Amino acid sequence: MIRRAVLVVLGLVWMYPTYLLLVNAARPAASYDPATAWAPSGDFALFANFAAALDKADLGSSLASTALYSVVSPLLGVVIGAMAGYTIVVLRLRHGFWWFLLIFGGTVFPSQMLLVPLFVGYSDAGLYDTRAGMLLVYTAVNVPLAAFVLRNFYSGVAFSIFEAARMDGASTFRIFWRVYLPISTSALAAVFILEFTFIWNDLLFGLTLTTTESVRPVMTALAGLMTDVYAGTPVPVGLAAGLMCSLPTVLLFLATQRLFARGLSLGSV
Amino acid sequence: MRRSAPILGRFRYGYVAPAALLVAGLLYAPFVWTAYLSLTRYDGLAPPEWAGLANFGKLFDDPALLTSLRNTLLWVVGTMVLPVGLGLLVAVLSHDIKGGAWYRVPFMLPYALSGAGLALVWSPILSHGGIANALLGVDTAFLQDAPVNTLAMLLVWTWQQLGVNTLLFVVGLQSIPKEPIEAARLDGASGWRLFRHITWPLMRPLTAVVVGLALVASLKTFDIVWVMTQGGPGRNSETLAVTMYKETFVASDYGYGSAVAVMLTVVTGLASYLYLKRQVAS
Repeated sequence: MIRRAVLVVLGLVWMYPTYLLLVNAARPAASYDPATAWAPSGDFALFANFAAALDKADLGSSLASTALYSVVSPLLGVVIGAMAGYTIVVLRLRHGFWWFLLIFGGTVFPSQMLLVPLFVGYSDAGLYDTRAGMLLVYTAVNVPLAAFVLRNFYSGVAFSIFEAARMDGASTFRIFWRVYLPISTSALAAVFILEFTFIWNDLLFGLTLTTTESVRPVMTALAGLMTDVYAGTPVPVGLAAGLMCSLPTVLLFLATQRLFARGLSLGSV
Repeated sequence: MRRSAPILGRFRYGYVAPAALLVAGLLYAPFVWTAYLSLTRYDGLAPPEWAGLANFGKLFDDPALLTSLRNTLLWVVGTMVLPVGLGLLVAVLSHDIKGGAWYRVPFMLPYALSGAGLALVWSPILSHGGIANALLGVDTAFLQDAPVNTLAMLLVWTWQQLGVNTLLFVVGLQSIPKEPIEAARLDGASGWRLFRHITWPLMRPLTAVVVGLALVASLKTFDIVWVMTQGGPGRNSETLAVTMYKETFVASDYGYGSAVAVMLTVVTGLASYLYLKRQVAS
């Protein structure tokens, strides 16, 4: 009984900011006042605030860019990583463990160690502030985890599968594409979800490597909005913007809670 | 696994090449380059000029860096106590009661907001003259004075991160073997004693993962601070990651910024090493 009571009280404390957020994001922009922010407003203006956020901060193009980055880069990263894992484990690449160490070692650096050279190098190579440049860096960041998870996964797959396919005369690539990739869907999906969320939420690379609104990822655009919260963007519009840009990850997360938790613990081993 | 002869696919190296090239070109090369730049004077325009250890000398008598280190430490300790500690509490309280998942919903909702979204949403609450001031009837400027501003951001962080830590702990609690717990119950153990002597040791491997993750993440705290205070006012809420960004891209001191990045890497590496060593030892 005490346990339930503690949980309920803590839960209510946690819900209150959520409540404040929702109530004020749905408030007509002009009627916001900190002193009465706790009370729901009679008018429901959530969608008007969404529209204002899209319009005012030009979040639409940022959302489109981010959608592109966070779908394409993890897809590429997962396939490239899986291919490396397959080659190392199934094709028994010579010195495979060292290749694996080389690829997986890429995760240990804090992003801060990459920023200056990426910024300078991208400027020289004409990749600064381009969608191609963002796709490239996000894909690279995804590869080590994908290689790690898929290498482990393929180690547990019976080798006879490969031999059987080989007997049928399939090429090594065909076996990868038609046999190994399909059987590892759950592992691929766990990595994909994790990476999708990481890229969707990325602020740092966007801040460093982009400047125009059409290339800039959405979290970076949101961060830019912050200075304006005081300089004229009404609070309800800012809150609506925060909500709107978080929706895709929320939906993905709610749909795949278990898989997501699994992915998280996969990424940490 | 038995090792046998490599299989001679025509494109064997072709299959690892994309992964190896991406990692080498976009992760390793920049890493090495930053390490080199930390030993130079560099403004991003003129070519880097060798400076030996000058940047690192500057690190040690830069008062802003000291503040930054102190705040980072606060983030690390605070993260262990609040999101991780409270997360464990909620998981333990809710994992084996009926409808436990429903009790956890309030904690899961905030996880939906990301760093920038989270900060955006909390700014009107914590800003001076904002909702918190109005509700609590106090005039504290939560984001002004150190260390209050860092603590306030830590609470925001806790509000968001509690749920995911809880979820990880719950998954762990549900996967530990039931028999030892049943046996201890039959022997009359319950409540705190049951947890302390039976459950806690069993969930040790999982705790190690959650704490390790939180440790590394908290050392690299950037998003929430950058969006809520930009490390200010002045420089009093900066963390190492924020200092690195500001020195590099605001002050255009690429050499010094790189030195801060190297320091962050060393601190993170050292902390992870010591932590792993302790985990393995015990």
